[in-house]
Amino acid sequence: MSPIIKKGGEKFTLPSKYLLFILTFLCVALIMITFSTNIFTASLNSFFGTIIVPMQKGITSVGTWMTVAADKVQTVESLMAENEALKKQVDDLTTQNTNLEQDKYELTELQKLYELDSQYEGYEKVAARIIAKDAGNWYHSFVIDKGSDDGLTVDMNIIAGSGLVGRIIDLGPDWAKVQSIIADNSAVSGTVLASQDNLIVSGDLELYNNGVISFSKLIDDADKVNVGDKIVTSNISDKYLPGILIGYISTIEDDSNNLTKSGTLTTAVDFEHLSEVLVILQTKQQVENVTE
Amino acid sequence: MRRFIVNFLLIIFSFVLQTTVFRYIDFGGITPNLLLILTVSLGLMRGDKSGTLVGFFCGLLVDVFFGTYIGFYALIYMYIGFIIGKFHKIFFPQNIFLPMLFIVVSDFVFGFTCYILFFLFRTKFDIDYYMLHVIVPEMVYTTIVSIFFYPVILRLSTWLEDIEQRSAKKFV
Repeated sequence: MSPIIKKGGEKFTLPSKYLLFILTFLCVALIMITFSTNIFTASLNSFFGTIIVPMQKGITSVGTWMTVAADKVQTVESLMAENEALKKQVDDLTTQNTNLEQDKYELTELQKLYELDSQYEGYEKVAARIIAKDAGNWYHSFVIDKGSDDGLTVDMNIIAGSGLVGRIIDLGPDWAKVQSIIADNSAVSGTVLASQDNLIVSGDLELYNNGVISFSKLIDDADKVNVGDKIVTSNISDKYLPGILIGYISTIEDDSNNLTKSGTLTTAVDFEHLSEVLVILQTKQQVENVTE
Repeated sequence: MRRFIVNFLLIIFSFVLQTTVFRYIDFGGITPNLLLILTVSLGLMRGDKSGTLVGFFCGLLVDVFFGTYIGFYALIYMYIGFIIGKFHKIFFPQNIFLPMLFIVVSDFVFGFTCYILFFLFRTKFDIDYYMLHVIVPEMVYTTIVSIFFYPVILRLSTWLEDIEQRSAKKFV
Protein backbone atom coordinates (compact mmCIF):
# COMPACT_ATOMS: atom_id res chain seq x y z
CA MET A 1 0.00 0.00 0.00
CA SER A 2 1.34 3.33 -0.94
CA PRO A 3 1.47 5.96 1.80
CA ILE A 4 -0.81 8.93 1.50
CA ILE A 5 1.53 11.56 2.83
CA LYS A 6 4.94 11.74 1.20
CA LYS A 7 7.34 11.45 4.08
CA GLY A 8 9.62 14.46 4.34
CA GLY A 9 8.26 15.70 1.06
CA GLU A 10 10.19 17.97 -1.22
CA LYS A 11 12.38 20.34 0.67
CA PHE A 12 10.96 23.83 0.68
CA THR A 13 13.30 26.25 -1.06
CA LEU A 14 12.95 29.93 -1.68
CA PRO A 15 14.32 31.24 -5.00
CA SER A 16 17.11 33.71 -4.43
CA LYS A 17 15.41 36.61 -6.17
CA TYR A 18 12.46 36.39 -3.80
CA LEU A 19 14.85 36.19 -0.87
CA LEU A 20 16.58 39.33 -2.16
CA PHE A 21 13.25 41.03 -2.61
CA ILE A 22 12.07 40.18 0.90
CA LEU A 23 15.34 41.26 2.51
CA THR A 24 15.41 44.49 0.49
CA PHE A 25 11.91 45.24 1.68
CA LEU A 26 13.01 44.46 5.25
CA CYS A 27 16.02 46.78 4.98
CA VAL A 28 13.99 49.65 3.57
CA ALA A 29 11.41 49.16 6.31
CA LEU A 30 14.17 49.13 8.94
CA ILE A 31 15.73 52.31 7.54
CA MET A 32 12.37 54.06 7.62
CA ILE A 33 11.56 52.84 11.11
CA THR A 34 14.94 53.80 12.56
CA PHE A 35 14.76 57.11 10.71
CA SER A 36 11.74 58.23 12.69
CA THR A 37 11.73 56.15 15.88
CA ASN A 38 14.13 54.01 17.87
CA ILE A 39 12.05 51.04 18.93
CA PHE A 40 14.43 48.41 17.57
CA THR A 41 17.69 49.83 18.79
CA ALA A 42 17.34 48.69 22.41
CA SER A 43 16.62 45.04 21.62
CA LEU A 44 19.07 44.77 18.69
CA ASN A 45 21.79 46.54 20.63
CA SER A 46 21.55 44.23 23.62
CA PHE A 47 21.30 41.13 21.39
CA PHE A 48 24.41 41.86 19.33
CA GLY A 49 26.17 43.44 22.28
CA THR A 50 26.14 40.26 24.31
CA ILE A 51 27.81 38.32 21.48
CA ILE A 52 30.30 40.82 20.09
CA VAL A 53 31.35 43.13 22.90
CA PRO A 54 33.08 40.50 25.13
CA MET A 55 35.23 39.47 22.15
CA GLN A 56 36.13 43.05 21.30
CA LYS A 57 37.02 43.69 24.94
CA GLY A 58 39.27 40.64 25.03
CA ILE A 59 41.09 41.40 21.80
CA THR A 60 41.54 45.06 22.69
CA SER A 61 43.06 44.21 26.06
CA VAL A 62 45.45 41.76 24.37
CA GLY A 63 46.36 44.47 21.85
CA THR A 64 47.02 46.99 24.60
CA TRP A 65 49.12 44.44 26.46
CA MET A 66 51.19 43.83 23.33
CA THR A 67 51.76 47.54 22.78
CA VAL A 68 52.91 47.91 26.38
CA ALA A 69 55.21 44.90 26.01
CA ALA A 70 56.72 46.38 22.85
CA ASP A 71 57.32 49.67 24.64
CA LYS A 72 59.20 47.86 27.41
CA VAL A 73 61.85 46.73 24.94
CA GLN A 74 63.14 50.30 24.69
CA THR A 75 66.84 50.54 25.52
CA VAL A 76 67.73 51.09 29.16
CA GLU A 77 70.23 53.78 28.25
CA SER A 78 67.69 56.09 26.71
CA LEU A 79 65.55 55.59 29.78
CA MET A 80 68.40 56.52 32.08
CA ALA A 81 69.15 59.67 30.13
CA GLU A 82 65.50 60.49 30.23
CA ASN A 83 65.47 59.87 33.96
CA GLU A 84 68.24 62.43 34.51
CA ALA A 85 66.41 65.01 32.48
CA LEU A 86 63.15 64.30 34.23
CA LYS A 87 64.71 64.65 37.68
CA LYS A 88 65.93 68.07 36.70
CA GLN A 89 62.49 68.88 35.42
CA VAL A 90 60.89 67.73 38.68
CA ASP A 91 62.96 70.27 40.60
CA ASP A 92 61.96 73.03 38.24
CA LEU A 93 58.34 72.01 38.38
CA THR A 94 58.25 71.85 42.16
CA THR A 95 59.30 75.47 42.42
CA GLN A 96 56.89 76.36 39.65
CA ASN A 97 54.16 74.43 41.40
CA THR A 98 54.52 76.31 44.67
CA ASN A 99 54.20 79.54 42.74
CA LEU A 100 51.14 78.25 40.97
CA GLU A 101 49.67 77.01 44.22
CA GLN A 102 49.86 80.56 45.48
CA ASP A 103 48.28 81.86 42.31
CA LYS A 104 45.53 79.30 42.58
CA TYR A 105 44.78 80.32 46.14
CA GLU A 106 44.44 83.89 45.00
CA LEU A 107 42.30 82.79 42.09
CA THR A 108 39.88 80.80 44.26
CA GLU A 109 39.60 83.73 46.59
CA LEU A 110 38.81 86.01 43.70
CA GLN A 111 36.40 83.50 42.22
CA LYS A 112 34.57 83.31 45.51
CA LEU A 113 34.39 87.03 45.39
CA TYR A 114 32.74 86.95 41.99
CA GLU A 115 30.79 83.78 42.84
CA LEU A 116 32.20 82.05 39.82
CA ASP A 117 32.85 78.39 39.73
CA SER A 118 34.83 76.42 37.23
CA GLN A 119 32.06 74.23 35.94
CA TYR A 120 33.23 71.06 34.39
CA GLU A 121 35.62 70.04 37.09
CA GLY A 122 32.61 69.57 39.34
CA TYR A 123 30.87 67.08 37.07
CA GLU A 124 30.89 63.45 38.04
CA LYS A 125 32.90 61.42 35.54
CA VAL A 126 33.56 57.77 34.84
CA ALA A 127 36.46 56.30 32.86
CA ALA A 128 35.86 53.98 29.91
CA ARG A 129 38.05 52.16 27.43
CA ILE A 130 37.66 52.26 23.66
CA ILE A 131 37.15 48.68 22.46
CA ALA A 132 36.36 49.08 18.76
CA LYS A 133 36.53 51.68 16.03
CA ASP A 134 34.35 52.22 12.99
CA ALA A 135 34.30 49.30 10.54
CA GLY A 136 34.38 51.61 7.54
CA ASN A 137 36.83 54.32 6.68
CA TRP A 138 34.38 57.19 6.31
CA TYR A 139 33.39 58.22 9.82
CA HIS A 140 35.18 58.40 13.14
CA SER A 141 32.88 56.75 15.62
CA PHE A 142 33.90 54.20 18.20
CA VAL A 143 32.56 51.85 20.88
CA ILE A 144 33.40 52.09 24.59
CA ASP A 145 33.09 49.34 27.21
CA LYS A 146 30.53 51.02 29.51
CA GLY A 147 26.80 51.11 28.87
CA SER A 148 23.39 51.61 30.41
CA ASP A 149 24.28 49.19 33.24
CA ASP A 150 26.89 51.70 34.39
CA GLY A 151 24.37 54.52 34.39
CA LEU A 152 25.18 55.97 30.99
CA THR A 153 22.52 57.51 28.77
CA VAL A 154 22.37 58.90 25.25
CA ASP A 155 23.79 62.45 24.81
CA MET A 156 26.31 62.19 27.63
CA ASN A 157 29.49 64.08 26.77
CA ILE A 158 32.82 62.31 26.35
CA ILE A 159 36.11 64.04 27.19
CA ALA A 160 39.73 62.92 27.20
CA GLY A 161 42.42 64.80 29.03
CA SER A 162 40.93 68.27 29.02
CA GLY A 163 39.31 68.33 25.60
CA LEU A 164 36.00 67.33 24.12
CA VAL A 165 35.87 64.00 22.26
CA GLY A 166 32.20 63.63 21.39
CA ARG A 167 28.92 62.36 22.75
CA ILE A 168 27.09 59.07 23.14
CA ILE A 169 24.57 58.50 20.35
CA ASP A 170 23.52 54.92 21.04
CA LEU A 171 24.03 52.35 23.76
CA GLY A 172 23.50 48.78 24.88
CA PRO A 173 23.78 47.17 28.35
CA ASP A 174 27.59 47.17 28.45
CA TRP A 175 28.68 49.24 25.46
CA ALA A 176 28.03 52.67 24.00
CA LYS A 177 28.56 54.16 20.56
CA VAL A 178 30.34 57.51 20.57
CA GLN A 179 30.21 60.01 17.74
CA SER A 180 33.41 62.03 17.80
CA ILE A 181 33.55 65.73 16.94
CA ILE A 182 35.93 65.00 14.05
CA ALA A 183 33.38 62.75 12.31
CA ASP A 184 32.28 64.19 9.00
CA ASN A 185 28.62 64.18 10.05
CA SER A 186 29.02 65.95 13.38
CA ALA A 187 28.64 69.61 14.30
CA VAL A 188 29.13 71.32 17.66
CA SER A 189 28.13 74.82 18.70
CA GLY A 190 31.17 76.55 20.16
CA THR A 191 32.30 79.87 21.60
CA VAL A 192 35.59 81.72 21.28
CA LEU A 193 36.66 82.04 24.89
CA ALA A 194 38.34 85.43 24.56
CA SER A 195 35.58 87.31 22.77
CA GLN A 196 32.49 85.13 23.51
CA ASP A 197 31.60 84.95 19.81
CA ASN A 198 29.64 81.89 18.78
CA LEU A 199 30.56 79.60 15.90
CA ILE A 200 29.85 76.13 14.55
CA VAL A 201 32.58 73.48 14.71
CA SER A 202 32.09 70.67 12.21
CA GLY A 203 34.16 67.58 11.55
CA ASP A 204 35.61 67.08 8.10
CA LEU A 205 37.19 63.91 6.74
CA GLU A 206 39.15 65.86 4.15
CA LEU A 207 40.63 68.35 6.61
CA TYR A 208 41.21 65.85 9.38
CA ASN A 209 43.94 64.07 7.46
CA ASN A 210 45.84 67.35 7.79
CA GLY A 211 45.22 67.32 11.55
CA VAL A 212 42.56 70.02 11.73
CA ILE A 213 38.76 70.35 11.61
CA SER A 214 36.71 73.26 10.35
CA PHE A 215 34.59 75.96 11.92
CA SER A 216 32.15 78.35 10.30
CA LYS A 217 29.52 81.04 10.92
CA LEU A 218 31.75 83.09 13.19
CA ILE A 219 30.43 86.63 13.47
CA ASP A 220 33.33 88.84 14.42
CA ASP A 221 32.86 92.40 13.19
CA ALA A 222 35.46 93.86 15.51
CA ASP A 223 38.22 91.49 14.31
CA LYS A 224 38.91 90.47 17.88
CA VAL A 225 39.37 86.75 17.19
CA ASN A 226 42.95 85.70 16.49
CA VAL A 227 44.81 82.57 15.53
CA GLY A 228 45.52 80.53 18.67
CA ASP A 229 42.36 81.53 20.53
CA LYS A 230 40.65 78.85 22.57
CA ILE A 231 37.31 77.48 21.43
CA VAL A 232 35.02 75.95 24.05
CA THR A 233 31.51 74.50 23.85
CA SER A 234 28.88 77.21 23.96
CA ASN A 235 25.97 77.86 26.27
CA ILE A 236 23.39 77.52 23.51
CA SER A 237 24.25 73.93 22.55
CA ASP A 238 21.49 71.55 23.57
CA LYS A 239 23.71 68.44 23.72
CA TYR A 240 27.06 69.64 25.02
CA LEU A 241 27.77 71.04 28.46
CA PRO A 242 29.16 74.59 28.34
CA GLY A 243 32.82 75.44 28.78
CA ILE A 244 34.49 72.23 27.59
CA LEU A 245 37.63 72.91 25.58
CA ILE A 246 37.35 71.92 21.90
CA GLY A 247 40.60 73.25 20.45
CA TYR A 248 42.59 76.21 19.19
CA ILE A 249 42.03 78.29 16.06
CA SER A 250 44.70 77.68 13.45
CA THR A 251 43.44 79.67 10.46
CA ILE A 252 40.71 82.28 9.92
CA GLU A 253 39.28 83.43 6.61
CA ASP A 254 36.55 85.87 5.66
CA ASP A 255 33.56 84.26 4.01
CA SER A 256 32.45 85.52 0.61
CA ASN A 257 29.38 87.12 2.18
CA ASN A 258 31.65 89.42 4.25
CA LEU A 259 29.47 88.89 7.30
CA THR A 260 30.81 85.69 8.78
CA LYS A 261 34.20 84.04 9.07
CA SER A 262 35.28 80.47 8.83
CA GLY A 263 38.50 78.53 9.16
CA THR A 264 40.15 75.59 10.79
CA LEU A 265 41.02 74.60 14.35
CA THR A 266 43.37 72.10 15.96
CA THR A 267 41.60 69.83 18.42
CA ALA A 268 42.76 69.67 22.03
CA VAL A 269 42.50 65.88 21.96
CA ASP A 270 44.84 63.62 19.98
CA PHE A 271 42.28 61.40 18.26
CA GLU A 272 44.88 59.14 16.64
CA HIS A 273 46.13 57.76 19.95
CA LEU A 274 42.94 57.71 21.96
CA SER A 275 42.48 54.61 24.11
CA GLU A 276 40.77 55.75 27.29
CA VAL A 277 38.12 58.43 27.71
CA LEU A 278 36.03 59.99 30.48
CA VAL A 279 32.24 60.05 30.35
CA ILE A 280 30.56 62.98 32.10
CA LEU A 281 27.63 61.46 33.96
CA GLN A 282 25.41 64.44 33.39
CA THR A 283 23.57 65.55 30.31
CA LYS A 284 22.81 69.14 29.46
CA GLN A 285 19.12 68.59 30.15
CA GLN A 286 19.80 67.38 33.69
CA VAL A 287 22.06 70.30 34.50
CA GLU A 288 19.46 72.74 33.29
CA ASN A 289 16.78 71.08 35.41
CA VAL A 290 18.92 71.37 38.52
CA THR A 291 19.67 75.03 38.02
CA GLU A 292 16.09 75.98 37.32
CA MET B 1 23.20 23.47 10.14
CA ARG B 2 26.94 22.89 10.40
CA ARG B 3 27.51 25.31 7.55
CA PHE B 4 25.24 27.87 9.18
CA ILE B 5 27.27 27.79 12.40
CA VAL B 6 30.60 28.01 10.56
CA ASN B 7 29.39 30.96 8.47
CA PHE B 8 28.00 32.69 11.54
CA LEU B 9 31.33 32.30 13.35
CA LEU B 10 33.20 33.53 10.26
CA ILE B 11 31.09 36.70 10.10
CA ILE B 12 31.61 37.47 13.80
CA PHE B 13 35.32 36.66 13.55
CA SER B 14 35.78 39.02 10.58
CA PHE B 15 33.79 41.80 12.20
CA VAL B 16 35.73 41.62 15.47
CA LEU B 17 39.06 41.51 13.61
CA GLN B 18 38.10 44.42 11.40
CA THR B 19 37.10 46.66 14.31
CA THR B 20 39.94 45.79 16.70
CA VAL B 21 43.12 44.16 15.38
CA PHE B 22 43.16 45.87 11.99
CA ARG B 23 42.59 49.23 13.69
CA TYR B 24 46.01 48.74 15.30
CA ILE B 25 47.75 47.88 12.03
CA ASP B 26 46.02 50.38 9.75
CA PHE B 27 47.84 52.34 7.08
CA GLY B 28 47.04 56.02 7.28
CA GLY B 29 43.80 55.31 9.12
CA ILE B 30 42.54 52.91 6.46
CA THR B 31 41.45 49.39 7.40
CA PRO B 32 40.69 46.52 5.02
CA ASN B 33 37.10 45.49 4.54
CA LEU B 34 37.13 41.87 5.75
CA LEU B 35 33.35 41.61 5.74
CA LEU B 36 33.31 42.42 2.04
CA ILE B 37 35.93 39.75 1.32
CA LEU B 38 33.76 37.27 3.21
CA THR B 39 30.59 38.26 1.37
CA VAL B 40 32.24 38.07 -2.06
CA SER B 41 34.03 34.78 -1.33
CA LEU B 42 30.99 32.99 0.03
CA GLY B 43 28.87 34.39 -2.80
CA LEU B 44 31.32 32.94 -5.34
CA MET B 45 31.65 29.59 -3.55
CA ARG B 46 28.04 28.98 -2.63
CA GLY B 47 25.85 30.98 -4.96
CA ASP B 48 23.57 33.98 -4.84
CA LYS B 49 21.42 32.87 -1.93
CA SER B 50 24.36 32.44 0.45
CA GLY B 51 25.88 35.68 -0.82
CA THR B 52 22.65 37.55 -0.13
CA LEU B 53 22.24 36.16 3.37
CA VAL B 54 25.89 36.58 4.41
CA GLY B 55 25.92 40.12 3.00
CA PHE B 56 22.75 40.95 4.86
CA PHE B 57 24.10 39.80 8.22
CA CYS B 58 27.51 41.45 7.70
CA GLY B 59 25.80 44.73 6.88
CA LEU B 60 23.41 44.40 9.79
CA LEU B 61 26.33 44.02 12.22
CA VAL B 62 27.98 47.18 10.89
CA ASP B 63 24.66 49.00 11.04
CA VAL B 64 23.91 48.08 14.64
CA PHE B 65 27.35 49.12 15.88
CA PHE B 66 28.31 52.02 13.65
CA GLY B 67 25.43 52.99 11.42
CA THR B 68 23.09 55.90 11.99
CA TYR B 69 20.11 54.09 10.48
CA ILE B 70 19.80 50.31 10.56
CA GLY B 71 19.62 48.85 7.06
CA PHE B 72 21.92 51.04 4.92
CA TYR B 73 25.01 48.86 5.00
CA ALA B 74 22.87 45.71 5.05
CA LEU B 75 21.40 46.77 1.70
CA ILE B 76 24.79 47.53 0.13
CA TYR B 77 26.48 44.33 1.31
CA MET B 78 23.45 42.26 0.40
CA TYR B 79 23.30 43.47 -3.22
CA ILE B 80 27.04 42.92 -3.65
CA GLY B 81 26.62 39.37 -2.31
CA PHE B 82 23.68 38.71 -4.61
CA ILE B 83 25.35 40.00 -7.77
CA ILE B 84 28.64 38.19 -7.07
CA GLY B 85 26.64 35.05 -6.27
CA LYS B 86 25.27 35.10 -9.82
CA PHE B 87 28.81 34.30 -11.04
CA HIS B 88 28.89 31.11 -8.97
CA LYS B 89 27.51 29.07 -11.88
CA ILE B 90 30.06 30.44 -14.37
CA PHE B 91 33.38 30.27 -12.52
CA PHE B 92 35.30 27.83 -10.38
CA PRO B 93 36.29 29.40 -7.06
CA GLN B 94 39.58 27.44 -6.78
CA ASN B 95 41.69 29.86 -8.80
CA ILE B 96 42.48 32.87 -6.61
CA PHE B 97 42.88 35.53 -9.32
CA LEU B 98 39.29 35.75 -10.40
CA PRO B 99 37.93 36.10 -6.85
CA MET B 100 40.52 38.81 -6.24
CA LEU B 101 39.32 40.66 -9.29
CA PHE B 102 35.77 40.42 -7.96
CA ILE B 103 36.91 41.68 -4.56
CA VAL B 104 38.66 44.69 -6.16
CA VAL B 105 35.62 45.57 -8.24
CA SER B 106 33.12 45.10 -5.44
CA ASP B 107 35.19 47.07 -2.93
CA PHE B 108 35.33 49.90 -5.43
CA VAL B 109 31.58 49.72 -5.93
CA PHE B 110 31.12 49.59 -2.15
CA GLY B 111 33.31 52.66 -1.58
CA PHE B 112 31.69 54.57 -4.39
CA THR B 113 28.19 53.79 -3.14
CA CYS B 114 29.19 54.93 0.34
CA TYR B 115 30.57 58.16 -1.12
CA ILE B 116 27.37 58.85 -3.04
CA LEU B 117 25.03 57.99 -0.17
CA PHE B 118 26.91 59.61 2.71
CA PHE B 119 28.93 62.42 1.13
CA LEU B 120 27.62 63.47 -2.25
CA PHE B 121 24.14 63.90 -0.80
CA ARG B 122 25.60 66.29 1.78
CA THR B 123 27.13 68.39 -1.04
CA LYS B 124 30.72 67.20 -0.59
CA PHE B 125 31.81 67.19 -4.21
CA ASP B 126 35.56 66.69 -3.91
CA ILE B 127 35.53 63.20 -5.40
CA ASP B 128 39.24 63.21 -6.30
CA TYR B 129 40.18 63.56 -2.68
CA TYR B 130 37.88 60.82 -1.39
CA MET B 131 38.93 58.57 -4.25
CA LEU B 132 42.64 58.98 -3.46
CA HIS B 133 42.42 58.94 0.32
CA VAL B 134 39.66 56.48 1.12
CA ILE B 135 38.32 54.38 -1.75
CA VAL B 136 41.53 53.37 -3.54
CA PRO B 137 43.66 52.75 -0.40
CA GLU B 138 40.88 50.63 1.07
CA MET B 139 40.65 48.72 -2.20
CA VAL B 140 44.38 47.99 -2.30
CA TYR B 141 44.60 47.01 1.35
CA THR B 142 41.51 44.80 1.10
CA THR B 143 42.95 43.04 -1.94
CA ILE B 144 46.26 42.37 -0.21
CA VAL B 145 44.50 40.96 2.86
CA SER B 146 42.26 38.83 0.64
CA ILE B 147 45.34 36.96 -0.66
CA PHE B 148 45.62 35.47 2.82
CA PHE B 149 41.99 35.45 3.86
CA TYR B 150 40.45 33.92 0.74
CA PRO B 151 42.31 30.54 0.91
CA VAL B 152 41.18 30.15 4.53
CA ILE B 153 37.54 30.63 3.56
CA LEU B 154 38.00 28.34 0.55
CA ARG B 155 39.52 25.57 2.64
CA LEU B 156 36.74 25.83 5.22
CA SER B 157 34.13 25.70 2.47
CA THR B 158 35.62 22.65 0.71
CA TRP B 159 36.02 20.88 4.05
CA LEU B 160 32.32 21.43 4.75
CA GLU B 161 31.42 20.23 1.26
CA ASP B 162 33.43 17.03 1.80
CA ILE B 163 31.61 16.30 5.02
CA GLU B 164 28.26 16.95 3.39
CA GLN B 165 29.04 14.67 0.46
CA ARG B 166 30.27 11.90 2.73
CA SER B 167 27.13 11.97 4.84
CA ALA B 168 25.02 12.04 1.66
CA LYS B 169 26.84 8.91 0.37
CA LYS B 170 26.31 7.15 3.66
CA PHE B 171 22.62 7.89 3.39
CA VAL B 172 22.37 6.25 -0.03
